[in-house]
Amino acid sequence: MALIDELQELRTTGLESIAASDDLAGLEAVRVALLGKKGSLTGVLRGLGALAADERPAAGKVSNEVRQALEEALADREAVFSASALERRLTAEAVDVTLPGRRRAPGRQHLIEKVTREISDIFIGLGYRIAEGPEVELDYYNFTALNTPPDHPARNASDTFYVEDLSGDAATVAGESDVLLRTQTSPVQVRVMENSTPPIYILAPGKVYRRDVADPSHLPQFTQIEGLVVDEGITFGDLKGTLEHFAHEMFGPDRAVRLRPHFFPFTEPSAEVDVSCHLCNGAGCRMCKGSGWLEVLGCGMVDPNVFGYVGIDPERYSGFAFGMGAERIAALKYGVPDLRHFIESDMRFLRQF
Amino acid sequence: MRVSMKWLRELVDVELPLEALVDLLDMTGTKVEAVHAIGATLEGVVVGLILTKKRHPDAETLWVTTVDVGGERPLTIVCGGQNFEAGDRVPVAVVGTTLPNGVTIKKAKLRGIVSEGMNCSATELGIGSDASGLFILPADAPVGVPFAQYHGMADTVLELEVTPNRPDCLSMIGVAREVGAVTGRIARVPSTSLTESGEAVEASVSVAIEDPSLCSRYTARLVRGVKVGPSPAWLAERVAATGTRPINNVVDVTNLVMFELGQPLHAFDAATLGLQSGKRAISVRLALPGETLTTLDGQERALAADTLVISDQSGAVALAGVMGGAATEVTGSTVDVLLESACFDPASTGRTSRRLALISEASMRFERGVDANGCVDVLDRAASLLVEVAGGTVAPGVIDEYPRPAVPAVVPLRISRLNALLGTELDRARVAGILERLGLQVDGPADELTVTVPTFRPDLGREVDLIEEVVRVHGMGLVPSTLPAGRGRVGGLTEDQERRERAGAALRGAGLNEAITWSFADPTDAERIGWVFGPDERPVRLLNPMSGDQSLLRFSTLPGLIRAVADNRRKGVADVHLYEMGSVWWTAPGRKQPKERAVVAGVLAGSWNRTGWNDPGVALDLSDMKGVVESLVEELGIARFRLRAADLPHLQPGRSAEVLIGGDVVGWLGEVHPSVLASYGCAGGPVAAFELQLKPLLKAARDVRPFTDLPRFPGVKMDLAIVVPDGVPAERVEQAVRSAGGKLLDEVRLFDAYRGEGVAPGHTSLAFALVYRHPDHTLTDEEVTALHEKVVRKATSAVGGQLRG
Ligand SMILES: [Zn+2]
Repeated sequence: MALIDELQELRTTGLESIAASDDLAGLEAVRVALLGKKGSLTGVLRGLGALAADERPAAGKVSNEVRQALEEALADREAVFSASALERRLTAEAVDVTLPGRRRAPGRQHLIEKVTREISDIFIGLGYRIAEGPEVELDYYNFTALNTPPDHPARNASDTFYVEDLSGDAATVAGESDVLLRTQTSPVQVRVMENSTPPIYILAPGKVYRRDVADPSHLPQFTQIEGLVVDEGITFGDLKGTLEHFAHEMFGPDRAVRLRPHFFPFTEPSAEVDVSCHLCNGAGCRMCKGSGWLEVLGCGMVDPNVFGYVGIDPERYSGFAFGMGAERIAALKYGVPDLRHFIESDMRFLRQF
Repeated sequence: MRVSMKWLRELVDVELPLEALVDLLDMTGTKVEAVHAIGATLEGVVVGLILTKKRHPDAETLWVTTVDVGGERPLTIVCGGQNFEAGDRVPVAVVGTTLPNGVTIKKAKLRGIVSEGMNCSATELGIGSDASGLFILPADAPVGVPFAQYHGMADTVLELEVTPNRPDCLSMIGVAREVGAVTGRIARVPSTSLTESGEAVEASVSVAIEDPSLCSRYTARLVRGVKVGPSPAWLAERVAATGTRPINNVVDVTNLVMFELGQPLHAFDAATLGLQSGKRAISVRLALPGETLTTLDGQERALAADTLVISDQSGAVALAGVMGGAATEVTGSTVDVLLESACFDPASTGRTSRRLALISEASMRFERGVDANGCVDVLDRAASLLVEVAGGTVAPGVIDEYPRPAVPAVVPLRISRLNALLGTELDRARVAGILERLGLQVDGPADELTVTVPTFRPDLGREVDLIEEVVRVHGMGLVPSTLPAGRGRVGGLTEDQERRERAGAALRGAGLNEAITWSFADPTDAERIGWVFGPDERPVRLLNPMSGDQSLLRFSTLPGLIRAVADNRRKGVADVHLYEMGSVWWTAPGRKQPKERAVVAGVLAGSWNRTGWNDPGVALDLSDMKGVVESLVEELGIARFRLRAADLPHLQPGRSAEVLIGGDVVGWLGEVHPSVLASYGCAGGPVAAFELQLKPLLKAARDVRPFTDLPRFPGVKMDLAIVVPDGVPAERVEQAVRSAGGKLLDEVRLFDAYRGEGVAPGHTSLAFALVYRHPDHTLTDEEVTALHEKVVRKATSAVGGQLRG
């Protein structure tokens, strides 16, 4: 039974060389040497034909067993090698996770736009719509229809920017043009009242201009946010409740709110609105100049004269209006000490918010 | 308005502690801007008794005194005053005291004798204008007591912010009335007793008002035989408390009465006014052409035609309500004083004072409106005080020209309306009580009040004015807070507003930060960026700019954005990624309001990131800017968007394009011309920028994009490289490929644009990755081959290109 012995011998030496292989390539060489077309097993089996017919089944059975044993050993060995190869790859691919990430940072919204949006959302939640209008306005909409007397100091060329009027019309205010950069967004309110009927619930945010030298607390170009409500049965209490809601949303639910009587030509009664200082909780600090209160808004009930200009019946309808500076609100809420940052486009400022 | 608490207490009872009073005034509309303590500066000045007085051995004019100041031993004080005797009591500044004039008293030798303090005059204490000698105190002045305490000097002054609608609060009596109203007290109007003698005023003075529309009342009194001199201490001190410098007894009286009652007065030296038919004849009229007047401050002023003046027949003697003239001023030699108390038109006074830049306490009060009905009371008060402090006699009678009498307003007030507007439930008693304490008279049945408003409250002419008074004094804090109950309203953004929000979000998503730059422009901007206006268009000019470099409205955001890049670079920030949404303007002959156009613009400089361990820091260029705009356009759902090469003066030639939406030019995109950057001092590499009109962009936007079915069968990928001569845009080649491929060509992606070795000079190889796909079956090799051959053939011939071998 020389053939069977040869097969057994092949199994022994085959298993030895499989076990001795170092890597996948060596193992593949061993596989080819043992089981390939020109391999050892094929060579041994060539002698099969020389066997007697009755010996062949036994020899065939052994050869299958040897082949199976060798294939199993090869597969096992390969599994070992691929596991360690994966291991090596993973080790090689390890990174320092503390290295900075790869990114293109999304841009930031300007703080003033962000605050404007925040305020708009509060009032949209109360059923307001956003109204807009031109920044270069007519005297009529900016002053006259807002009950501002012809000699009111706000109309002075020292306070308001006037624009060249090429229509050839004579100015109604001596020495000045009737075209100006709006000093408030109230003209938007007048236009809305002119062009629609109550109920009116609008917020008018936008750029406004006043002749102030740019310094930490003034800008000649800034952002005003004004609101207007005209409806049946609107009360001063509604104005108060609305602004309290706003202050709590904007500055926190614990803030106290107070209205101090004041004077504006287009509202009556008029008030200034203070919110208790969120830095010191009303105890007094540098931000609130020791008073514990921050002045954030002007407001009042729409003056019947204004209704007269736009043809709304003040006996049937009443309304309130309020206005605030987005820059001031942003400066107070985010602690920005100098309003000029808002207009300087310094990337290091814009990226902060 | 400065309010002395000492003075205020004479006019109304104040029982609240100061802090509570300040809060109450704040909360009822009279904001207290500051609280000043007065009198503390006289620390170290005490009442002294002069024990002995001897001539200084070495100085003719000096005296050596010993003074008891309540200490262990008398002080030796060398003194230059001449008006005292031993036994007099005087204020003494001891060593270490700093007087209001800044002098600190030291122990010093005066001609050989050590002086241990100073006996003081009124001027040295800052309480009067009499510097002629020591300030002799009454014989009962307690020795050793602090002078400020003895003299009642310690005072508190409130600085009030008075709103323009409250002229009455520019007087002590008005403030007293206000304090009374909010604290439940009644103010006391100062009483006047006047003795008249001599010839009647009508015999000596006449007044004519030429223009009653500018002067509704003119009253005058004549005081004969006054002795002009320093004011007594009490008067000087009171005037000083208002923040005004004491001048002399006549002027100080007019100022005192103005602050007390709110009515400005003027004092003329009667002898300097011209005589007409034996009378000092005054007329109130507009200035004559070419007329000038030398005012009290010594300046000769040319008078505009609408200037209201007081004049005698020789010409203007005073600017009505603004400032007196130098020639008729009260001086030390004045004997007869003509006191004027008048009511001038607010607007006219305001115009004159602004035009001449003369803002005085008087003009400020006239500008806000004074009470014509108070003129004579004020005159009487001033005349009686004048006699008290300057002697003389008051001529019988008052000159009173009153062509337009002020009538108290009678205003109806419905309690129901008041409560409906305020959201309160105040009753008649509460409402009437508040109004009456304010000096108003209330009549009428329960719900319908008839309120008579005295003429010192010109701001109260309508029902709503009274409602404001009630809520202000009642307390706004007591009004219950509610929210409007109106039905049927829905908040939200308009379609355009919502799209604008999305545009901003897309630009931020693409890496741009929002900026707000100036709406103003420099007149040199147009030239610097080579901006081309339309044939009739021109930039919008401001009539009163803050500065020359901000004297136009911007017609493009580009200069502002270049400045932003330059500023950042100067601060060491090289990577700048900004966008802005805002308006630009231009105008044309015949236009009133300029054309205002909303634009969206952006700028890129440097790289997205600084070069990092995993980022090469690639320099940003036109292509990055185009990518940003592509993101914007995609987010808005705009289908028809393309760039078209165009030479624009502000952009670098060859890197300059117009942006088209749906075939219309809506803006530009490119790299800023190097010479434009240089003209803004913006060194440091290329700057890519764009500016698009917002309106067509928002109009072309789509909010809802319909669903497109996903492919069900696999596509076949093929590459195609076409070599084209320069001048054939990639866009055209791509279009040729697409049109040749038809519906079965599903994707076309340009993956390489190559110039160099292997491609003929003046040519570019454009390589496309194509995907062929049939919606209904998997394409066979034969189908794809045939299709691709057709694409190659048609596309190359359409663009005059060649298949790259
Ligand atoms: Zn604080």
